[in-house]
Amino acid sequence: MTPPYALSRLLIYLVLSVGAIAMAFPFYWMLATSLKSPQEAQQARPIWVPERLKPANWRVAARLGAEGGSPLWGGYQDGRSVTLRIYTGRMGPEPQVFIPTAVGAFSDPRAEGTQIRTRYQEDHWEITFTNVSGESFRLLPAVVLLSKSYASYRPELPPDAVRSSGDDWRLEWVNLAPGALGYVFHNYREAWLAAPFGRYFFNSFITAGTQVLVGLLLAAMTAFALARIEFPGKNLVWLMILATLMIPGEVLLIPSYILLSRLEWINTYYALVVPWLASVFGIFLLRQFYLSLPRDLFDAARMDGASYWTQLVRIALPLSIPGLVTYGIFTFLGAYNALLWPLIVTDRPEMYTIQRGLQVFIGEAGSDYGALMAASTLAILPIVLGYFLAQKQFIQGVARSGIK
Amino acid sequence: MAVLLALVRLAVALELLPPWAYGVGAILLLGVTLEAMFRGFQAALLPGIGLLLVGIGWGYGNTPAVLLALLGVGALYWAWAPRMSEREQASFWGWVLVWPSLGLLLVWQIFPSLYALWLSFLDRFNFIGQSRFAGLLNYEILLTRDPLFWKAMGNTFWFVIFTVPLGILLATVVAILLNERVRLLGFFRTLYFLPYITALTAAAAVWDWIYHPEFGFLNWVLGTPGLDWLSTPQGIFALAMAPLGIHLQGFWAGPSVAFVAIMVMSLWHLLGYQVVVILAGLQNIPKEYYEAAQLDGASWWQQQRYITWPLLSPTTFFLSTLGLIGAFQVFTQVLIMTPTGGVLQDTLTITLYLYNKGFRDSDFSYASAIAVVVFTVILVLTLVQQRVLERRVNYET
Repeated sequence: MTPPYALSRLLIYLVLSVGAIAMAFPFYWMLATSLKSPQEAQQARPIWVPERLKPANWRVAARLGAEGGSPLWGGYQDGRSVTLRIYTGRMGPEPQVFIPTAVGAFSDPRAEGTQIRTRYQEDHWEITFTNVSGESFRLLPAVVLLSKSYASYRPELPPDAVRSSGDDWRLEWVNLAPGALGYVFHNYREAWLAAPFGRYFFNSFITAGTQVLVGLLLAAMTAFALARIEFPGKNLVWLMILATLMIPGEVLLIPSYILLSRLEWINTYYALVVPWLASVFGIFLLRQFYLSLPRDLFDAARMDGASYWTQLVRIALPLSIPGLVTYGIFTFLGAYNALLWPLIVTDRPEMYTIQRGLQVFIGEAGSDYGALMAASTLAILPIVLGYFLAQKQFIQGVARSGIK
Repeated sequence: MAVLLALVRLAVALELLPPWAYGVGAILLLGVTLEAMFRGFQAALLPGIGLLLVGIGWGYGNTPAVLLALLGVGALYWAWAPRMSEREQASFWGWVLVWPSLGLLLVWQIFPSLYALWLSFLDRFNFIGQSRFAGLLNYEILLTRDPLFWKAMGNTFWFVIFTVPLGILLATVVAILLNERVRLLGFFRTLYFLPYITALTAAAAVWDWIYHPEFGFLNWVLGTPGLDWLSTPQGIFALAMAPLGIHLQGFWAGPSVAFVAIMVMSLWHLLGYQVVVILAGLQNIPKEYYEAAQLDGASWWQQQRYITWPLLSPTTFFLSTLGLIGAFQVFTQVLIMTPTGGVLQDTLTITLYLYNKGFRDSDFSYASAIAVVVFTVILVLTLVQQRVLERRVNYET
């Protein structure tokens, strides 16, 4: 007999939830890490909620950002002063403050053109940075050396890193004038500016978009002809398309690369798009669909003098929109998520697709896991957003691929 | 007439062949057209043919030429259409609609496959210097003297053994549970499905971070600080047997810890796809069967065992074929998580090896030999699988 109803329901939900948590965890971890400072990310004990996600810090970040530039994105503009308070409760040794200079830089106008003033007020140290360099900067990094003789201390904005340095605590901020968004999305902004991600996205969308649009048209034309037009040689064509189905992708890598380099198409959109325009999968899918449409529909149109082209455009295409969407989603996913092909046919950053760019970025970012996870999040964002917009089509499209 | 039309189409397709083919095509076409004109057709044929030839002759690299050629076809059709019979129109349109895809498939799939076969017989083909015909030398080295190839084949084997049955089993369990009229179905389905649409590059970066030896989440959960998952080349069977005093070597040591880590990640990535496909398969099973079984007093387990599982077999068959082919294509996650193929090449996969040989060592002919061998293996395996499993697959409908 079946176990008691309520208990079995509970069990179902329990198993499903445990599985769902395991499936979703990497996404949570990616998002959380992308909002962490390096020191937060590199903890032996994981930090579940990063400082940058706490609203109290956003307010301070917005104020500091407004002092240096704008409340949203911050900045350290010429002539502005940014003031940070560190609550210590009593007046002890004066903290030492400086702006870290880039390693190996000959001169650093930001560090040299900043007047730093520290004074004690009531219960806190007030540190004021004034930009007199005549230039504006995006970030204001700062280091404060605070004596360990203070029993407790609380800076308004939590430092991104706290280290021990002799008799002092070394408090480090990557950006003291971040603004609210600049604070939360620090890693995103830095990752975005570290590599031409805008260009990568553009390339990805152009490539995937062209593949979908042109590929759809070609597949629909071929499928329609194979399903609905009697022409000599049709069986031969069909046989050839069936034969193509057996060729695995790896076989094509080397010869296609040689072909493309003979054509001097390496590092062009042609190389990214043209070899994948004709899709046997799409032809199969749509042919099946057109075969299932009633014959009379087309015969009637033929009687009324509609040419085959008109039949295709006016009858077949509108009726096959579900199939077209399925194929379109698959093609877009495949093109957008591909790494191997862009890896082979592009070696100049201006032609990288987003996945190729991300792969290079992973190699370069080293141990900056915050920026790495931020870049990864950016790379998957368009597809995830698209999924939430067209959830039904995604699921149906994938499900349909399994039903033959 | 149909033959003439086929010739028109052929000439258009010829634009993808070497230059001399233009000439042959053009002469053929012109001759045919002149003959048709003498037979008393409209003179309007001539401009159409002219446009077509000019367009093609210009070359396929530039857009105006292609447009011109298309215009030529259009003009031809316009001139010819009133005189065409129903059958001729059908054949004209059939070929016109088919040739773009067909041409692309010929040039980018069928021709390259044959070219790969040819390359594999050459001696060290790269763009520098002359390559000689070397017969089966590459195959001989590959199959008898190349431990790395067998390492990669072994890894692919383990990948199939571990991920395909486990993935299908897990996905079936999840799908059956989801099919029990669960509330929040959309929510659960989304969570299971999201990894599949996530780009492997980004997903592999995240898992790399989870597997991090010092700060990775996994080591914190398991309480194994410092364990470097992705740089541990010991086989898991060897590790499991070591305390018993049994020392396994080579293939029998099993997949390395690093490769198991990669397989877990791959399982996570593909599970959502399998769940959605199996869920669709479940919904195709008529409800009446379950109702009848319930009337006969079948338990829930019996229903799953004797109704769901057999009737799901076409779907599981499809998924296992896909998993088998997919195992030979594992590349992205390995490249991201172990860029060089791991310690002692312990995470090497077939596609990564092919990529290394072709694009890092510039030995295109050897890489082509790998590709041909893979092609053959996949073909044989799918045929065997069809033969063996097809008999057990239960096709309803």
